[in-house]
Amino acid sequence: MTDLKESRMPLQTSPIQTSRGERWKEIATRQETLLLAVFAVMVLIFSLINPRYFSTAAFGNILQDFGPVMLMAIGQTFVIITGGIDLSVGAVLGLSGVSAALAIRATTESGMDPMLSITVGVATALAVGVLVGIINGLLITRVKLAPFIATLATMGACMGTTLVVTGGVQIAGAPREVVLIGNTRFFDIITIPLIVVFVALIIAWLALSRTRFGRWTYAIGSNGFAARVAGINVNKHLMKVYALTGLLAAIAGLFVYFRLGSGSPASGRGGELQSIAAAVIGGISLMGGVGRVTGVMLGALITASVLSGLILIGVEPNAQQIVVGALIAFAVAVQSIGRNRN
Amino acid sequence: MNTQPVYQARGITKKYGNVVALDNVDFQVSAGEVVGLVGDNGAGKSTLVKVLSGAHKPDAGELLLDGERVEWDSPHDALEGGIETLYQDSSLAPDLTVSANLYLGRELLAPGFWGKLGFLANKRMDEAARLELEKVGIAVPSSSRSVAKLSGGQRQAVGIGRAVAWANKVIILDEPTNHLGARQSAEVLEVIKQAREKGLAVIFISHTLPHVLEVTDRIVVMRLGRIAADAPTSTFTPDSLVKSITGLDQLAG
Repeated sequence: MTDLKESRMPLQTSPIQTSRGERWKEIATRQETLLLAVFAVMVLIFSLINPRYFSTAAFGNILQDFGPVMLMAIGQTFVIITGGIDLSVGAVLGLSGVSAALAIRATTESGMDPMLSITVGVATALAVGVLVGIINGLLITRVKLAPFIATLATMGACMGTTLVVTGGVQIAGAPREVVLIGNTRFFDIITIPLIVVFVALIIAWLALSRTRFGRWTYAIGSNGFAARVAGINVNKHLMKVYALTGLLAAIAGLFVYFRLGSGSPASGRGGELQSIAAAVIGGISLMGGVGRVTGVMLGALITASVLSGLILIGVEPNAQQIVVGALIAFAVAVQSIGRNRN
Repeated sequence: MNTQPVYQARGITKKYGNVVALDNVDFQVSAGEVVGLVGDNGAGKSTLVKVLSGAHKPDAGELLLDGERVEWDSPHDALEGGIETLYQDSSLAPDLTVSANLYLGRELLAPGFWGKLGFLANKRMDEAARLELEKVGIAVPSSSRSVAKLSGGQRQAVGIGRAVAWANKVIILDEPTNHLGARQSAEVLEVIKQAREKGLAVIFISHTLPHVLEVTDRIVVMRLGRIAADAPTSTFTPDSLVKSITGLDQLAG
């Protein structure tokens, strides 16, 4: 056995010794730390241009933008880690929002109790989201379409459906309770929908970092062949991931609906761009297999702050997409530079 | 060999279109035996490995595991049957840790309520992975380090370690010493010997003939989709092995 120990030596490198200095260096170069710094610099710049940016009210507004972006970005995170992408999240947000609005308007008009009607509306929206997610999953795992194409197709289909069922106009007529649920603020900034977002965030963080579901999500994106050979039912897992993403986009649709008190066919436009931006800024690799929810949370915060900040400094809303597009390009460029250096 | 073979292929034929990749091939391996599978590119080694590991179904012929007929619908079927394969292009997920790779698809869950929710027992897996790898003579810096941060040799060792740790009958190693330096190769060969001592049947596919001559008990030479030679390693010299692979022995004879 002693000679075996000898031959074992080449594989044995000494464990990395971490001194306190190195530990600090490690923390300082972590993605999350860098993102926090970027966020701070951004807040500073926006505040210098318009001092109103640095206020509780403005931060409350940022959080209102943050909610739906975060929900879509969580789904996007799971999908991208498997090596896919979901372009339909914004369109699903829109479709599920107007579905809820239509269901709630129809049921309240027929004299249903408002809270019961709201429950029906919520269930309708969630069902729509999951359904689109399942269709995405089927197109990808059974029809073998590339995720990019499959979700591009459902994105178009969802946008079209939204316009057809609404006739292109806003669906108003929500009971008072909707606006109350959506806009009652605790401590000036927290709303019930925001609490839902944070619960979703915590669940997603635990699921991705601590559970077998998360482990398989990473494994599929890291080496799909290895995952399959190891006995993981890759198709079944992908179905779950896309359904989950649809569900989260539907919750995002409800978030917007409850805030506005009406279903707008324009809601969710650019949602795919924003969620992908949040994910890649947060360090999710488009190659799959890499990324953390904590990073994406900061990515969503940065994306939402940019959106609110641009409005406050007087940039017209239509120009936002230009900035979000630039953010994506920048974040992916930084990632690939980092990868090449390694 | 007087023992009954653990894993046996009889009369295997596999065609791809008009190309006959395997032509009525017989192959067997016994417990505690290391069989080298050699041959030139296109000789049919890879196809035979795919059939044995469950990745491809043969057009004709049968597979017998412990004397009983088996049919694999997927590599995972073969895996559950006790046959572990280390693929040439690594069967590891580079972004996962060593222990996550070792337990991929067989994760240990936390006890009780949390386990029912799917929470992993990471500490237990890290510790067990380290012990399991040590048992077969592999020491990696840390089982909680991601595979991407390991050297090529270490990765290969983890892959083999996983195969040896889980296999209860057969391990198939496709070019495990490819791209490795001399010392790392020696390490891998050592693990193969450990696997033999554990009573596993080992199928060792390699182009590196000195490795094959060093570690195997028997060598099967393939040529043009057929078995060209099947004899104890001691009957080969480096020279005769090359001749057998290239077919020069037949020209001479």
